[in-house]
Amino acid sequence: MAMIDAGGIRLHVQRMGPPDGRTPHATVVLVHGLLTDSLASYYFTVAPAFAAAGLDVVMYDLRGHGRSERPPDGYTLDHNIDDLDALLDRLGITGPVHLVGNSYGGTIAFGYAARHPERAAGLTLIESEPATAAWAAKLGGILRRVVTQLAYNEPDAIAWITANRGHNTARLAKGAARLARETTLGRDIPASRVLTEEQIRAVRCPVLGVYGGDSDLVDLVPLKQALLTDFRPVVLPGHEHSVLVEAAATVGAHILDLIRSVAGAGAGAGVR
Amino acid sequence: MNPTPPVPAQPTTDTVLAEITGMLGTLLAEYGEDDAVIGMSTTFNRDLELESIDLVTLAGLLEERYGRRVNLAEFLAGMEFDEIIELTVGRLVEYVVWSLKATEAG
Repeated sequence: MAMIDAGGIRLHVQRMGPPDGRTPHATVVLVHGLLTDSLASYYFTVAPAFAAAGLDVVMYDLRGHGRSERPPDGYTLDHNIDDLDALLDRLGITGPVHLVGNSYGGTIAFGYAARHPERAAGLTLIESEPATAAWAAKLGGILRRVVTQLAYNEPDAIAWITANRGHNTARLAKGAARLARETTLGRDIPASRVLTEEQIRAVRCPVLGVYGGDSDLVDLVPLKQALLTDFRPVVLPGHEHSVLVEAAATVGAHILDLIRSVAGAGAGAGVR
Repeated sequence: MNPTPPVPAQPTTDTVLAEITGMLGTLLAEYGEDDAVIGMSTTFNRDLELESIDLVTLAGLLEERYGRRVNLAEFLAGMEFDEIIELTVGRLVEYVVWSLKATEAG
């Protein structure tokens, strides 16, 4: 396990490379989602296939999540983008990278690409969207429910989740409740600075959007199509928000297609 | 710290189970759990209450002990989500024994 100091915060990082020691063709940075998520959602799903395809795979736990440090405050989107910025600097990754974000991780990845358009070779948003006023309002509602129902009335909420969603989800929910109770995350994220339309338009790299067919995020496809130069939506029927872990092989294949197409369009060597 | 004994040439289910039990003990100690009874039928999720991020740590411990031929990430990436939830210590032990034998033969 590698703990890396990313500008004053210690983040848990895992890296996988081509198994035969080949020089990687490109770097892909995988950013996980909020509260119940960690880098494990990539580590045990798409990451081994990405490494086998010749990529340098960088995964990390967001502040407060997984094995990373959990400060009591500092949970706005800008904090998360600063962390990613500092982490890539510390790892010496300066060239363009492929960014993949699941749910809130995609909002972070998009924010990074908007801040440094020249450093994003490609972007994959899984069940995710850029930070807009509508996004902040929606997240505020979700986080308010977590904080009120889980963090302050945990036994009842956990009993309901165990009965209706099973033991595993209930345990993840306990972790989420702890994070919401012990930090300012629930207040910070909805108060995050959001992107202007101009900042969203500044992202000119190819953007792959992956959605579960039963997710309400599918409704955002036309909006993104209007704002982004090269937006490639993929809808996987029969899935909801957890499409990454439920349909990992399919999602991974779409991401590799995107990376190959970028390599093919440029002068660099292709990904095998 | 005691030096770690070399990995035996003929790893058996019993020796690998004992070593994995030791690794799980280290992981569980972080949660203040030091009396868990671990056997082949113990599940990581329901019995040991380990989260997937704990399995990332276990992957590191396995690689440290057995080298890159034991790759927990690849092993689990080949499974359905429900299979991972139901994963037992025994299934991991069998995978480790198989990986070590496979590399020995190859």
